[in-house]
Amino acid sequence: MNYTRRHLRLGWWSLLVFLLLGLGLELLHGFKVGLYLDVQNETRRLMWTLAHAHGALLGLVHIAFALSVPYLPKLATLNRARISWCLIGASVLLPGGFFTAGLAVYGGDPGLGIVLVPIGATSLLTAVFLAARASGSAETPDGTGGRRD
Amino acid sequence: MTARRGRRQEPPAGPAREATASGLRRHLPIALLLLAAATLGLAAVVSFSPPVPESRITNRPIEVHADGYVSSETCQACHPAEYDSWYGSFHRTMTQVATPDTVRADFDGVRVEDTHFEPMVLSRVGDEFWAEFDDPGWEGNESRPRIKRQVVMITGSHHQNIYWYATGHDRGLNILPAAYLLKEARWVPRSAVVLHPPGQSLAMLDGHWNAICIACHTTRGKTAFDTPYRSEPFDTQTIGTTVAEFGVGCESCHGPGQAHVEANRNPLRRYGLHLDPAEAGDPTIVLPTRLDPQRSSQVCGQCHSVWEFYDQAGERQANAAGLPYRPGDELRDTRFVAQPSVDRTSPAMTAFVQTDPDFVRGSFWPDGMIRVSGREYNGLLDSPCFREATHPDRTLSCFSCHEMHKPSDDARSVAEWADTHQVSTQGQGNQACLQCHEPMADQVTAHTRHGADSTGSRCYNCHMPYTSYGLLKTIRSHTVSSPSATESVALGRPNACNLCHLDKTVAWTADRLDEWYGTPAPPLDEDDRTVAAGPLWLLRGDAGLRAITAQAMGWGPAQDTSGTSWMTPHLAEALGDPYEAVRFIAARSLRSLPGNPSLSYDFVAPEAARAEVAVRLLQTWRADPRSRQRREPELLVDQEGLPRIDAMRRLFDQRDRRGVFLRE
Repeated sequence: MNYTRRHLRLGWWSLLVFLLLGLGLELLHGFKVGLYLDVQNETRRLMWTLAHAHGALLGLVHIAFALSVPYLPKLATLNRARISWCLIGASVLLPGGFFTAGLAVYGGDPGLGIVLVPIGATSLLTAVFLAARASGSAETPDGTGGRRD
Repeated sequence: MTARRGRRQEPPAGPAREATASGLRRHLPIALLLLAAATLGLAAVVSFSPPVPESRITNRPIEVHADGYVSSETCQACHPAEYDSWYGSFHRTMTQVATPDTVRADFDGVRVEDTHFEPMVLSRVGDEFWAEFDDPGWEGNESRPRIKRQVVMITGSHHQNIYWYATGHDRGLNILPAAYLLKEARWVPRSAVVLHPPGQSLAMLDGHWNAICIACHTTRGKTAFDTPYRSEPFDTQTIGTTVAEFGVGCESCHGPGQAHVEANRNPLRRYGLHLDPAEAGDPTIVLPTRLDPQRSSQVCGQCHSVWEFYDQAGERQANAAGLPYRPGDELRDTRFVAQPSVDRTSPAMTAFVQTDPDFVRGSFWPDGMIRVSGREYNGLLDSPCFREATHPDRTLSCFSCHEMHKPSDDARSVAEWADTHQVSTQGQGNQACLQCHEPMADQVTAHTRHGADSTGSRCYNCHMPYTSYGLLKTIRSHTVSSPSATESVALGRPNACNLCHLDKTVAWTADRLDEWYGTPAPPLDEDDRTVAAGPLWLLRGDAGLRAITAQAMGWGPAQDTSGTSWMTPHLAEALGDPYEAVRFIAARSLRSLPGNPSLSYDFVAPEAARAEVAVRLLQTWRADPRSRQRREPELLVDQEGLPRIDAMRRLFDQRDRRGVFLRE
C-alpha cells in the first residue's frame, strides 16, 4: 500500500470538501439564513462550524502524515496501516459527527450525531500517538536522520 | 544549515563571544514577540476595570444567589433562544442597577425645574450618577433639607424610568422627585406621572423600594428590615435587602433552578428527556405552560394582581425569607388576592379597606372590575371565559394570548414583540377568541353588525375595550365583558361602543345594544341622550374617565370612526385639566390630530402658559373652515360648527370633582 499517495489524495480532497463546506457556511451568513443564524440555532451554527474546522484541519493532518511517511522508515507496516485507518476514521467521524449533530438540535444540546465525535476523537488520538511514537526514530530520506555533520 | 555549519567552522577568534552573539540573534525574534505579548497583556490588565463585586456594595440592595436560585445567566447556555427573548423583554429590565449602560436619562449637568420642591440638579461623576434635591423622605418639622445622593437603581424601562437614590442608610432606597419619560425624552415631576388629585402629595418614603417595589420588580427579593417597615424611625432600622436577581428573571416564573441545573449536568439525563416520546417534561423545573390554566395564570398573577399579605406574620416571613409563593403553588395559600366583585364584604376585604380606604376604589371600578394596568390577573379572575370554564383546554389563561418567549416562527423582532406586550401572533386577532368560540368564525359580521374589515369586528375592541389606566395611557380591560350603556351610566366606566363612536350619544349605544342583542337600556338623563359620549365624558366625568376619553380621541380606530375635526375644542379644554395626567394625554391626542403634530405644550408648565397654548390652538382651529364640517348639536357645536361654550360650561360645572387616585 502506498500510504503517501493514499493520504495525499485523501488530504487534498478532504480539504476541498471542507473548504467548500466553509464556503457554504459563509453563504448562509451572507444571505442571513435563519436556519443557521437565528439565536435558537446557535448550537447548529457551532456544530457546523466545528465540522468545517475539524474536516479542514484533518485534511492537513492527512497531508502531513503522507509527507511524513518517508521520514518514518521504522514505522511498522502494521502500525502504518493502523494510523492510516484511524486517520480515515477520524476524518469521517469528527466532522461527520459535528455536522449531523447540527441537523437537529435540542436548545443548547446538539443532536444525537454528537456521539460520533468522541469515537472520532479517540481514533485521531490513537493515530497521533502511534505517529508520535514512531517519530522518535525518524530518518531523512537521505538516511542521515537530519543530523548535522 | 550549510551557512550555519560554515560559521561554526570559522577561525576561533573569540569563539565564545561569537556563539553568544549568534544565539542572541537567533532568539531575538522570539524575545521581541514575548515582549510584545507581555506589553499587550499588561495594557489589557491596566485598562480593564472589573465591576465591583456585589458583596462589597453597601449602599443599595445586592444580588445574592442563594436558596436554590442561580440567576438567568445560568439558563442561557442550555436555553439560548428562551434567554434571548427574555433578555429583550421588559421583564428583565424591571429593575436595573444604574450604570452608563442602563441610564437613559440625561444627567450631565441637568437642572429639573418641575419638581414640586426646589429644582433638582443632576450630575455625572465618571460612571456614577448624582442628584441634588430637597429631601422627599423628610418627615421632620424643620424646613426640608437639601441633599445630594447617588442614584443607584432604576425601575421601569418601557415607558418611564423611575430612579432610586441611596439614602445613605444601609441598603435603603428612596425615589427621585422626578421621573424620566422615555418616549418624550424628558424629566417630569414624579407626581405628574401618577393620576392623583392635584395638590395631594405622593408618598416618597425612605425604604419604599426595599419594602414594596422589591416584590414584583426583582426575583426572590428579601426586604430584610430588622423591624416592620415604618414601625420604627427609618434611621434606626437595619436594612439588609438582597435579591436573587434584579428584574423579573427566569426563576420568577420557573421557580428556583439549582436542582434543575445540577440534575441536568448529566448528559444522559438530558438526552433521555429530549428523546422521551411521552414528553413528560422535567420534574426539576416548572414550565408554566404545562400547568393547568388556573395555576399557570397565577404565575403571572403573583405580580399582575392587587394582593396583600393575610397578616403581619406573613409579611414578616416574606421580609426575612422572601415571598413564599413558588410557580405551581396555589397563589391564595400565601396571599390575599383582591376580587371585590365577589368578596367585597368578606372580613379580610373589610379589614383591608378599614386600614386603607383606597384599597378597592384606587384599583377597581365600582362593580369590582379592575381599572388599573399591571393587575391583569384580577381582570382574568372576573372573566367568564376563565371563571365559568369547565375544561382546561377551553379555559382562558394568560397564555391564551401572551407568550413569555418569542417562538421561532414569529417574524417580529424581539424588540417589536416585547413592545407589543408579548402578545402572540394568534393573540393579536380574532383567533385568540375563536380558539374556543369556533362557531362564531362564520358569523362574525352577523354578530358584530360591523363589516368584516371593520375594527368593530375585532372581538377585543368590544369585549376588552381600553378602560384600564396606567403609565399615562390606557390599556385593554382584561376582564372579558360585553358592552352596555349601564356601565357608563351607573358605574362611570366608558362602554366599548362609545370608546370608538365618540361622536354618538350613550342613548344611541343603548338603542343599538337593545336592538341587536336585547341588552336592556338603562334610565338615561338628558345629557346622555343629547350629548355625544366623547364631549360628555371629557367635560362631566371624573379624572379617570377624562383620561380614558382623552386617550380614546387619539386612538386611530376611534378617529376613523368618529372623525377628528370636532375634537380640538374639547381636547384644548382638557389642556387646562387640574390633573397632570389628563393634560398629558390630551396633548398627546391633540398631536395625533391632523395639523397638530408639532404642538408645543408643556403639561407641567404654569397655568397661564398652558392656557395660552389652548387659546392659540382654538384660534387656529376656528380660522380653518375644514374644522367646522361637523355641525351635529350632540357634539356641542352650533349651526356654524362653532363650540357652544354655554353648553360646555354647563357640563363642566356638573363635573365629578371627587378626587381620583389610581394605584397603578
